[in-house]
Amino acid sequence: MIQPRRRAVFIGDRNDLLFNMKTMCKNEAHSDKLAALSRCMTQVAEQRDKKAFATLFDHYAPQIRAYSLAREPGADLVADELVQEVMTRVWLKADKYNGRLANLNTWIFTLARNCRIDYLRRNSRFVTEIDPTGIFEEIEDETPGPFQRVHQSRMGESIRAGLEALPREQAEILTKVYLEGKSHQQASDELKLPLGTVKSRVRLALKKLEVLVER
Amino acid sequence: MEKTHNHPTDELLAAYSAGSLPLSQALCVSAHLEHCPACVRKLQRLNRVGSELMTQLKPAAASAALKESLMAKLDMLDEETVEPAPSVTDPSIPRCLHQFIERGYEDLPWKRVSADIQTVELCRDSNGARVELLKIRPGGSATTHTHLGDEYTVILEGSFSDESGVYARGDFMVKDASDKHTPVATQDRECICLAVTEGPIQLTGFFNRLFNPLLRRGYA
Repeated sequence: MIQPRRRAVFIGDRNDLLFNMKTMCKNEAHSDKLAALSRCMTQVAEQRDKKAFATLFDHYAPQIRAYSLAREPGADLVADELVQEVMTRVWLKADKYNGRLANLNTWIFTLARNCRIDYLRRNSRFVTEIDPTGIFEEIEDETPGPFQRVHQSRMGESIRAGLEALPREQAEILTKVYLEGKSHQQASDELKLPLGTVKSRVRLALKKLEVLVER
Repeated sequence: MEKTHNHPTDELLAAYSAGSLPLSQALCVSAHLEHCPACVRKLQRLNRVGSELMTQLKPAAASAALKESLMAKLDMLDEETVEPAPSVTDPSIPRCLHQFIERGYEDLPWKRVSADIQTVELCRDSNGARVELLKIRPGGSATTHTHLGDEYTVILEGSFSDESGVYARGDFMVKDASDKHTPVATQDRECICLAVTEGPIQLTGFFNRLFNPLLRRGYA
């Protein structure tokens, strides 16, 4: 009696099931890769292992360049400079990275972001004496609690899946703000949208990604 | 105790996470974060969004020359790098302000602007915003004022209340040009705030209106 019923469910949800299996495999491959990279970080921190550092470079340098080019398309020299800055910090701050508590991709993203802020400040036409170092670095280096650790990988998966399902106009806003480094005002000018609409789209997108809820 | 506007909004925090916030505003967010573990956790999730977005970009290959030149520098980097000496700043001062405050709030060149208020300008941002500290004496009141631009405030010491509620240490608020408010420090102690103003402050009393042109000149 149970057999045919099960089959019916299987056929009905076949596409869903296949999709789920695919995402599961993707997520597994993703976390394997990340675990391997995290081990490289430990080797760099503890043994000053250059081969491990080269592996990190091969993986992250193209991502960092892409991040820089998203803001300044065609500016290859700027992109190279950002890679130099970020990877130098990876080498020097390796011992500050705690693999058991923070996601390596996120750590690299915050380094890239901090280096970009620094670069923009140094090369801006309008000078400011505010040093971003003390603003961004230390707070985020502080470790999340063990509770967060448990949810970390699941959070990554849900954000990844959420980004794929985001309506185009919301994904567009997140790209403008996070990758192109546009302020809300700049995004509003470029997309010819009221400032309020830009802000509410950011908020809606984040709500969909469930980053605003405490779990 | 009623509290309103105590945290940065989600979209402001997202802009901070993305690195697209003017540094003066980032300074205020950072000062708030030191007092607010909930916002730090939210920020960590927002950073995760940034990292996922970065991961999804089409990788842009790095040249072999770039890799070689960096690999060749690694040993030199280790030799060059000296750990900076720990600064002896008061731990109750937010770390993001250590760049402006050597020892403590008392040693700053405070200027009296009214019987109740002293201020000290820390710096200007590249967008012209003025970053300053305000000190209101116990029970003292800041003059009723409005702003031409937004005003960001974080309470660093003590507490104050205004028309919309009571604010304590770490509280973060944004007032825009349409908000009129009269902050009053609590009786028990003085109140120190970090304030970022994007345009000149407008005093709203009759006599104060006369002085407005003088105030505005400070921003020329």
